[in-house]
Amino acid sequence: MESNVDISVEFAGLKLANPVFTASGTCGYADELAEFTDVNSLGGFITKSITARPRMGNPVPRIVETDSGMLNAIGLANVGLDKFIEEKLPVLQKMKPAVFVNVAGETIEDYCRVAQRLSTEQAIAGFELNISCPNVRKGGITFGIDPVQVKEITTAVKATAGQKVLMVKLSPNVTDISIIARAAVEAGADALSLVNTFTAMAIDIEKQQPVLANRTGGLSGPAIKPIAVYMVNKVYNEVTKETKVPILGGGGIRNASDAIEFILAGASAVAVGTWNFVNPDCTSKIVSGIKDYCRLKEVSSIKQLIGAAG
Amino acid sequence: MTEKKAATKGDFTAVVTANKHISTCFYKLSLQFLHEGAEAFAQAVPGQFAQLDLSSTALPPSDKLKEQQSDVIGRGIILRRPYSFCEITTKDDKTSVEILYCALGPASLRMTTLKPADKINVLGPLGNGFSIPQGKKTALLVTGGMGAPPIQHLAGVLSLEHSDIYPLVFAGAKTKNKLPFEGRIDEISKEIGFPIHALARFGVESQIATDDGSVGFHGPATQCLSQWLGENEVSAEQTIIYACGPEDMLAEVARIANEKNIDCQISMERRMACGIGICQSCAVECRVGDSPKTEYKLCCKDGPVFDAKEVIFHLEKDAHRL
Repeated sequence: MESNVDISVEFAGLKLANPVFTASGTCGYADELAEFTDVNSLGGFITKSITARPRMGNPVPRIVETDSGMLNAIGLANVGLDKFIEEKLPVLQKMKPAVFVNVAGETIEDYCRVAQRLSTEQAIAGFELNISCPNVRKGGITFGIDPVQVKEITTAVKATAGQKVLMVKLSPNVTDISIIARAAVEAGADALSLVNTFTAMAIDIEKQQPVLANRTGGLSGPAIKPIAVYMVNKVYNEVTKETKVPILGGGGIRNASDAIEFILAGASAVAVGTWNFVNPDCTSKIVSGIKDYCRLKEVSSIKQLIGAAG
Repeated sequence: MTEKKAATKGDFTAVVTANKHISTCFYKLSLQFLHEGAEAFAQAVPGQFAQLDLSSTALPPSDKLKEQQSDVIGRGIILRRPYSFCEITTKDDKTSVEILYCALGPASLRMTTLKPADKINVLGPLGNGFSIPQGKKTALLVTGGMGAPPIQHLAGVLSLEHSDIYPLVFAGAKTKNKLPFEGRIDEISKEIGFPIHALARFGVESQIATDDGSVGFHGPATQCLSQWLGENEVSAEQTIIYACGPEDMLAEVARIANEKNIDCQISMERRMACGIGICQSCAVECRVGDSPKTEYKLCCKDGPVFDAKEVIFHLEKDAHRL
């Protein structure tokens, strides 16, 4: 019976064993997570953001739990491009899932430098362009909320990314996410990733000041799931259904049921983020749960479910 | 401890064997592990911690909550909660882990409803605990408030496994009933140096300090430490200081240790999400060698125990408390 269920997906020319990714910033560079889960059971893996130079990140407190969610303001802390190539790439080289490197920077040149340097690395299937980080003063979200800048940065990085798949990660902190999605697709994005976190704030009423040192953070977790599902469905119907650009959908996914919601909304693959912090082995359970769902619904291929909710 | 291999960490199911109210807001949860979990936790060292999944643990009935708790308790929790251990014992193929906690927030208030035979999911043992360098003869242990459990654990291990080391605990708290130890503070035993029953049962001496002077020394535990060091001739090389508590206290302990040129290990606390080094939330600013540069290390993975010399402390004005 099992052999009859096909949960492999096509994703921007890549053939993935299943539609489950770990989201950037929630799975390190794979070595940390590997102690708790079989990372090879994933369809795709997205690294923590890489910037041209190492970044220390923001002061603490960097996180706070909120109702059914959490705020983070890590500030793109990462080892930097050189150390990533030297220390982390060899680990990723041995992995079965399609590896995407999340690329961030303060200027378009920063992004291009990282993409170009990694464009010939065999271990990497593609890039996820982070133009939606809400927790840094320069770069990040400032690119992602303006369709003109989205076009400009996507075109520039696409030109330096060689044969690698270019996926653009969208911010939900916009009035109409389809406008941004269209700008990215028109500029040559091979895939879209949505959503990044929602800019949010929590205030300590004892101290009468924001909890996070950065004042604001990005809200993630189950609290954002219905909005993320809506946004994926909107972009699917208004932009990508026609252009055949796949969506990596995510936002608050905890289990296979949540993942299937995103697929039915229009995502070709799903990214699990915050829940890796809670249950580092959750993705392997999601993969098997998707298989069980297909079996129960007598669906021979998961591909039939993409956008099936209309 | 130094001779033991690093513990294998994992994702285990623990069975609750007891959950005892100790005093005021303090409780002691006893967890039992079997099989691989028993092996992993038998290897755990004081200062390490575990991440408890309490998201599906029941809320206490509303009539049992104090008025000021009702706002906080309604919050839907998702993240695990990190706890260190106050004692670990192994018998046959079972390992018992004792967790002393303060019921304050939405997770710890849920924790009070756990009862024998309940099961909870536990990630651990995590992080790096205290280590015991060769050649030490005196160990001075300093705790403040909820820093007590791992210090109690360490005192027990020193007493049972390192008979060549003399351990002495300086336990500080705001007031008498905020001392997180099981058992009454024994006024008679205080006279001979054993006021804290949880330590006395291992033959470990202690001194108490309270901010309001309600028991023991009137002032911070760090002052007891200074006083003791002033009154007792010890070889700096053969002495080590261990501390766990509020960051301001740790900074003061680090200062004293540095002044006396005594080795010092401190256990830090940070808000964490994952506890396994992936979320990068629990940054601790550390010196890079002798250079003026600093870097962020992770409390969960590089710590929570750090060499006091490397940490750059963030004092009260920036500190966070739950």
